[in-house]
Amino acid sequence: MLFNSLHFLFFLPIVIGLYYLLPQKFRWMLIFISSCYFYMVFVPKYILILFLIIVVDYIAALTIERVQGRLKLFYLIASLTANIGLLAFFKYFNFLNENLVSVFSLFGREFHPVNLSIILPIGLSFHTFQSMSYTVEVYRGRQKAETHLGYFANYVLFFPQMVAGPIERYETLGNELKNVHKPLYQNFSDGFKLILFGLFIKMAVADNIAPYVNQIYADPLKYNSYEVVLSVFLFSFQIYADFFGYSTIALGCARLLGINIMNNFKTPYLAKSVSEFWSRWHISLSTWFRDYLYIPLGGNRVKIPRWSINILIVFMISGLWHGAGWTFVVWGALHGIMLLLERYFSVIFKFEIKKEWSILNAFLVLKTFVVTSFIWIFFRAENFQKAKDMIKAILRNHSFQFAHLEILFPLIFTGLIILFDVFLYNSRFDSKLNTLKTPYRWAFYTVLLFCLMALSGTQKFTFIYFQF
Amino acid sequence: MLIILIIGLDLIYNFTLYKRDLNEKCEQIVEVKTKQKNTDIFYFGESSNFNIRETDSIKNSISEITAFFFPTLTLTSINKPATHAGIYKEWLKQINVNEKKPKAVIVTLNMRSFDAAWIHSRLETQLQESIVLAQSYPNIINRFLLSLQAFDNKTEQQREAEMLKEWETTPLIFPFPFKYKTVREWDNGIAQGTYIKADGSWDHDKITLACHYVKGYAFNIHDNNPRIKDFDEIADWCNKNKVSLYLNLMAENVEYADSLVGKELVFLMKQNRDYLIKRYQKNNCVVVDNLELVDGKEFTDQNWTTEHYGYKGRMIIAKNVAKALNKQFVKEYKNAY
Repeated sequence: MLFNSLHFLFFLPIVIGLYYLLPQKFRWMLIFISSCYFYMVFVPKYILILFLIIVVDYIAALTIERVQGRLKLFYLIASLTANIGLLAFFKYFNFLNENLVSVFSLFGREFHPVNLSIILPIGLSFHTFQSMSYTVEVYRGRQKAETHLGYFANYVLFFPQMVAGPIERYETLGNELKNVHKPLYQNFSDGFKLILFGLFIKMAVADNIAPYVNQIYADPLKYNSYEVVLSVFLFSFQIYADFFGYSTIALGCARLLGINIMNNFKTPYLAKSVSEFWSRWHISLSTWFRDYLYIPLGGNRVKIPRWSINILIVFMISGLWHGAGWTFVVWGALHGIMLLLERYFSVIFKFEIKKEWSILNAFLVLKTFVVTSFIWIFFRAENFQKAKDMIKAILRNHSFQFAHLEILFPLIFTGLIILFDVFLYNSRFDSKLNTLKTPYRWAFYTVLLFCLMALSGTQKFTFIYFQF
Repeated sequence: MLIILIIGLDLIYNFTLYKRDLNEKCEQIVEVKTKQKNTDIFYFGESSNFNIRETDSIKNSISEITAFFFPTLTLTSINKPATHAGIYKEWLKQINVNEKKPKAVIVTLNMRSFDAAWIHSRLETQLQESIVLAQSYPNIINRFLLSLQAFDNKTEQQREAEMLKEWETTPLIFPFPFKYKTVREWDNGIAQGTYIKADGSWDHDKITLACHYVKGYAFNIHDNNPRIKDFDEIADWCNKNKVSLYLNLMAENVEYADSLVGKELVFLMKQNRDYLIKRYQKNNCVVVDNLELVDGKEFTDQNWTTEHYGYKGRMIIAKNVAKALNKQFVKEYKNAY
């Protein structure tokens, strides 16, 4: 089910109403059933994959806790293999085949892959990563294995964040799901604010920018360099608004149930460096990779050459996590390279970014935005040819002949999202709004509601991160 | 508080963006609203009305030719390709009955619009989108519903699956024994080399065309067909508001249906025609029957099933419509041809 659908606008109040009407001991059942229903609206049979992940990790964690020595590691590896195996099959099977065909042809051989028409289950990368973090934490002894299958299932299935994160840890979401939640005014107030804001940035901002960006990316060589550069910058805001919108609605929905989930974004385009960008963008994924890949590889404790390789490995795998394609790997690698360059620069020139705002910092923010925007080309382009066409169009076609694309609304909403980012810097929408006086708050609601209801995009664009 | 806010926002929306959205999303609805005051007869049509043969020396549409017969009346045609009664009824509802009403409405009655291919057409989503803003909710709510895609918004794959299912499962009813029970069976039967060239090879062009005819016309119209419900609503609206309704049953290439597929298909076409005439004549409507009036050669698409006619075909239909209208508008009628 999509958050930006009428279906969801009916579904949510029913779930919230029933949740507070039911006694605590039955609430997990409601969350379980509603989460299954929420997921099954997409492709019903794929719920079985989720059940498999739940059962495997539930049993694995209990066993890991019970056994000693090498057996612990054995069960952890078994659980991780099952999770990664599922992900590999559904997400990377065809990608692997395509690459094998290329490799074989390089040596003058033919490879005939088995063609499976697999549809990637929505949000599979999110579920598997969330579930894997739990078994690893149990293995490390930092988390007690959950004995109640229902609670564990809800941790994996919790509908507000099940298909596109944030990737939560059991320590937080697991406990939040068990706590007794009362229908508090503040939770409702904050929840509705977040949902309103999330819908606004998804439907009014992202969906108004999407048609412009899609037209350019479909055939970049048809447009002049100014239009193409604009589409590169606009895509940065589109994907931000799209994903930030989803995450904000997820936060709001959870809040209505009295449950706190983590903030996945902190005004990322106000970051002064690429490394800071990654501490502000898709925070739950960045911290996942930090805790379960970067630190086990050695973290900061190794020498610079090894550290550099580790950074590249982490970013390239992060790219591959996003999509089964080399363009995603390049996207990740470019981020890694930029991060390394920044670090070398700061070490060689003993340069430190100061916290106080200054012209230099404003320049650094702009630089980071431009760099990340151009790297997004590899993320957005369907293949290398399209990415190459984008770059070619930027470098070659400087004519002033403009195609008459609808640009007014994309620019207005881009301006609005920039203003919101400056306004929200380092804080969350609900808490920032709560500091304002009532008339200003209502002025905000009025503007947001009007933009949402009267100016939202009218084409159907699913959340970009659903495909991961 | 929220309700008051939405009422206020609705007012702002109506004064600012509503017209822009209407023009962008539902041009035809704007046309109905703006042209109502100066219209005596509305003609609601699809491509059958305005499609012409490239070599036609006279390029007037059916509605334009019809209008020539009534020079003192204003006949306004509203058209959109692939439209059907489900959309026409929404256009009709835009007529403000408290203002000057049209005296008559001519609605295109396309027999193929009752078949699975049209009901589950890939163009349906776009058609449904075009009427969201015309719903009876406050305009800002309609606009929000449009953004939420809260209309019959299926993907092309979903629609195709529904169409195939209907062809496979809906039984064809004949009062005589016939070897094919469903469209799928009939289609498969024809596809198995019914037409063989002199050299012994299959005549694929002919087979494809024959299969199109089966898919386009092999169905029994029944009371539960969604188009019937739509036409019923149209008839009810006209009866309630005392506006004469003319259902213009378009000509089909019966000649080719007969020669390519056989008498069984023609039987179904005629049976469906009789059903429609009987049903709507009972409901105070005039059904202008053009089904068999146009020769096969007068259809502009010789390798496809359409209701697109050359000038001669359009003239025959227009004359037939004018003849029917003549009974109501005796004084205004002038024999233009």
